[in-house]
Amino acid sequence: MTTTATPATTLFDDPVLPAHRRILNSFRGPVGSITATLVVTLLVGLIWVGPSFFSPSNIQIVGVSVAIPLIVGVMASFALLAGVVDLSIGSMVGFGAVIFNQLVAAGLNAWLVALITVVVGVVVGLTNAFVIVRFGAEPLAVTLGMLTLLRGLSQVIVVNAPPSTLIEPLYNVTQGAIAGFPTLLLIGIGVTLIAAGIVSKTRIGRKVQAVGGDDRAAARAGISVSKVRVIALVASSVGAAVGGILYVGQLGSASNVLGTGLEFQIYAALMIGGYSITRGGVGNPIGGLLGLLVVAGITNILNVTFTDPNYLDLITAAILLAAVLVDRFRGGDSFE
Amino acid sequence: MTTSLITPADPAAPRSPGGKTRRPDSRGLPVSARDALSIAGVWVALIVATTIVRPDFLSTQSLLAITFTMSITGILAVSQAIIVISGGLLDLSLPVSLIVSAWATVTVLNNGLPTWVAIPVGILTGMAWGALNGIIVVFGKLNPIIVTLATGFGGLAVMLIFFKSAQIPAQSDLRLYGLGRFLGLPNIFWPMVMVIVLGGLAFAYTRWGRRLIAVGGNASAAKARGINLRRMRLGSFIGAGAVAGLAGVMFSAVTPSFTPAAGASFQLIVIGAVILAGISLSGGKGNLLVLLLSIGFFATIPTSIAFFGLAPAWALVFQGALLIIAVGIDGYRLKRTAR
Repeated sequence: MTTTATPATTLFDDPVLPAHRRILNSFRGPVGSITATLVVTLLVGLIWVGPSFFSPSNIQIVGVSVAIPLIVGVMASFALLAGVVDLSIGSMVGFGAVIFNQLVAAGLNAWLVALITVVVGVVVGLTNAFVIVRFGAEPLAVTLGMLTLLRGLSQVIVVNAPPSTLIEPLYNVTQGAIAGFPTLLLIGIGVTLIAAGIVSKTRIGRKVQAVGGDDRAAARAGISVSKVRVIALVASSVGAAVGGILYVGQLGSASNVLGTGLEFQIYAALMIGGYSITRGGVGNPIGGLLGLLVVAGITNILNVTFTDPNYLDLITAAILLAAVLVDRFRGGDSFE
Repeated sequence: MTTSLITPADPAAPRSPGGKTRRPDSRGLPVSARDALSIAGVWVALIVATTIVRPDFLSTQSLLAITFTMSITGILAVSQAIIVISGGLLDLSLPVSLIVSAWATVTVLNNGLPTWVAIPVGILTGMAWGALNGIIVVFGKLNPIIVTLATGFGGLAVMLIFFKSAQIPAQSDLRLYGLGRFLGLPNIFWPMVMVIVLGGLAFAYTRWGRRLIAVGGNASAAKARGINLRRMRLGSFIGAGAVAGLAGVMFSAVTPSFTPAAGASFQLIVIGAVILAGISLSGGKGNLLVLLLSIGFFATIPTSIAFFGLAPAWALVFQGALLIIAVGIDGYRLKRTAR
């Protein structure tokens, strides 16, 4: 990934094209298909729902609903980028929320509890990473086990109706607004932009992409593959734990089913946004943001028109299949 | 990386062609015997531990509960094993195959048609579902995990849209069969044993079975020897679908009423049992008799948990942890054999 010799770059660079061709070409890439999907979603919204689809209050609803999945998804995207997939994020969001909610309700200091929750996220991430990196186990299967384990723990902890909690500063963050924009959404976009900067502009980002793209080559180039993957998996878990804390702020409580299936929506959105579960090294957080906006837009259209919410999973599944198919035509790995 | 590893997991690890394609009957037996012994050992340890805490654990009631749990899980595990051994990675939409077949069976019965129509319809529905997955995988050349993840969620959504719950007619022959017992064990236990035995024999002695193992072990080598990969892959999905369809029929026989989401609880226990049985996700190896032991072990966990006086949710915790450990061991073995 790092180009050492300057002559080599010219050898592999595409010939310089006129500006309009370059713009056209960029639309053939991931960004183009995501933008097209998003535009279609918005058009459907405009036609079906009418102009009220673009009313400030509706945009605010979508913004608030997309913010926490965005934060969780952006952190999880580091694992995807490094070539390991973490299916346990949905359960981790739920488990983090349950721990946070229960301990705060038990009377502990909210900051301390938040710290504990994040530490739990680190421990879960390290456990995943230990089995995946140390033993070379299949990430999907390991994190599927962790998904079940954490869901089970949440159900062990919360048996009856969970207590409700109100934490002032957290409430202000999750429900407040700065200059008309939901604070949470601003934080989410901030996290996305920082992550996008890390991925495309920094050494660390390039290392992560290199490990995900071709781990042997990365190892030969002197990058510690295990270290990158451990950090990526921990980031993914911690992001989910933070997402859990934010959900407690938003919902005022945490049931034992919170976050079920969230991983499907997030990964579907990320794959629509140009990431790949089967190979690392591709994708950009901005694409992830656009993908999540597509899913959130569909959810919103279904909600506003009072359509059976089950259609969401159906449509997401269809778009997901279309997205991986398009990715394959674009040069993604084909199966056999 | 056209072959079956989901991610290029480790630079030093598997997929070195020569090392892994040993014939299942040459050096395979000692390994599976060791697997069988270790799983049986852990299983016995679990039973002994539970019996020490609660001596009344060793009873007909427990035996019935465990064999009952084993039945549907076992048939589903064979379906999953067919996919995994043939190198199709995993079928995450198995809960949908189960429920959609059960729903088809029950619908036929509710329309007054006889049992001998309902059972084939259930199995055919499973095959159709498998064919759908297989066609998308084969002709889209897409990774089966993503395809079945999508069809699993999509299929569940479709079922939730079209039916809220399904009931089997209380006096139907199938329902009475589901309530009955044979040789002291639940009726549905015996079809499971038959499926495992027949499946095991088919893998070992039929041309199709050997070809499936060959395709799973090293797809490009199998292709080079003239095996049609697409046909094998499609066949494995349809065959696995038929087995899952049978599981659906059995499920409808023992469940008076079910919702579309009822299949979800089988997902992990099936995958866990398959991986614990040494049926590696990288494909090409596995022994269905070890699978039977592994299913027995997994099926004992919920009953043991109940006898320990713990909340049922603890079963999830232990099964999840077990899956993580089993995958870890699987990965470690692959890593070692690759060296």
